[in-house]
Amino acid sequence: MAKDVKPTRKNLMAIEDRIELSERGHDTLEQKRDGLIMEFMDILDKAQDVRGGMEEDYQTAQKKINMARAMEGDVTVRGAAAALKEHPEITTESNNIMGVVVPQIESSKVKKSLDERGYGVLGTSARIDEAAEAYEDLLESIILAAEVETAMKKMLKEIETTKRRVNALEFKLLPELYNNQEYIEQKLEEQEREEIFRLKKIKDKKEAEEKAEEEAAREAEAEAAETVDAD
Amino acid sequence: MSQEIAVVGSPDFTTGFRLAGVRKFYNVESEDADELDDAVREVARDEDVGIVVMHDDDVAELSREPRSIVDTSIEPTFVTLGGGAGSGGLREQIKRAIGIDLMDED
Repeated sequence: MAKDVKPTRKNLMAIEDRIELSERGHDTLEQKRDGLIMEFMDILDKAQDVRGGMEEDYQTAQKKINMARAMEGDVTVRGAAAALKEHPEITTESNNIMGVVVPQIESSKVKKSLDERGYGVLGTSARIDEAAEAYEDLLESIILAAEVETAMKKMLKEIETTKRRVNALEFKLLPELYNNQEYIEQKLEEQEREEIFRLKKIKDKKEAEEKAEEEAAREAEAEAAETVDAD
Repeated sequence: MSQEIAVVGSPDFTTGFRLAGVRKFYNVESEDADELDDAVREVARDEDVGIVVMHDDDVAELSREPRSIVDTSIEPTFVTLGGGAGSGGLREQIKRAIGIDLMDED
C-alpha cells in the first residue's frame, strides 16, 4: 500500500491532514463507544429486573389459568377467551440515548374491569376472572420487557458498529496512513541527499575543470617565459 | 400509530393471552416445526403488530432463518417467556458486541 502514493510534499501534507482528522475521529468514536456501553449497563440492570418480574408473572398466570381449566373445563375457558371485546393497544414513541433512537411504549386497555371483558359474568366463575387478571398483569410486564429489550437490541447494534469503526480506524486506516507518511518522508529525505550529492559532484567537477584551466594557463605562461628566456 | 400484541404458540399457551384481550394469535401445534416457522414469518410481516409473545421452547424449535428474525427483529419485538432471565439470542448478541458475557452470573 505504501508504494501507491507519490512521494511529493503535497501528498505528505494531505496525509498529515488525514492523520489528524482520523485521530480526532478515533478519539470521538472511542468516547462514544464507552458512553454507549455505560448507558447499556444501566439498561441491562433494568432489563434483568424486568425479565425476572415477567417470569414470575408468567408462573402465576399459568397457575391461575390451569386452575381455571381444571375447575371450569377447557371449553369454558376458551369460550371466555374468544369473547373478549376490548383489545390492548400499544403506541410507540421514541427516545434518544446518545444518538440511538429507542422506543417508549405506551399501552392502553391492558387492564380491564369485569364488565369490559365481554364474557358473561353469570356463565363464568371467579377463577376465569383471576386468570384474566393475571394475564393482564403479565401483558403489562411483557410490554415493559419489550421496551427495554428493544432498546438493548438497538444499543447493541450501535455499540457494534461504533466498535467496528473504532477498530477500523485504529488497526487499519491509521497504520496505513502512518506507513505512507513514513514512506514519503524517507523518500523525500533520500531525494534531498541525492540532490546534495549531485551538487557536490557538480562542484567537484567544476573545481577540477577550473584547476585544469589554471594549470593550463600556468603551463602556457611558463612556456611563454621559456621562449622569452631562450631569446 | 397504535399497534397490537400478538401471541404465537400452542393453543394452551395462547388461550391465557386471549383471556387478557390479545386479538392476534397464531395457534401452532408444537410438533409441526414448519407451521411455526411460517407463523413467525407471517407475524413479522404484519405491520399492525408491535410485540410478539412466544414461548422459549417454541423459539428453540425454529429453523435458522425465522430464529434470526426472533433474535434481531426490532419491529415487531419478540418477547420470549419461560426461559428464565437473560434468555434468547440477546445474550449472544451482548457477548459479540461488548466482548464479555454480562449475563453470566445466573
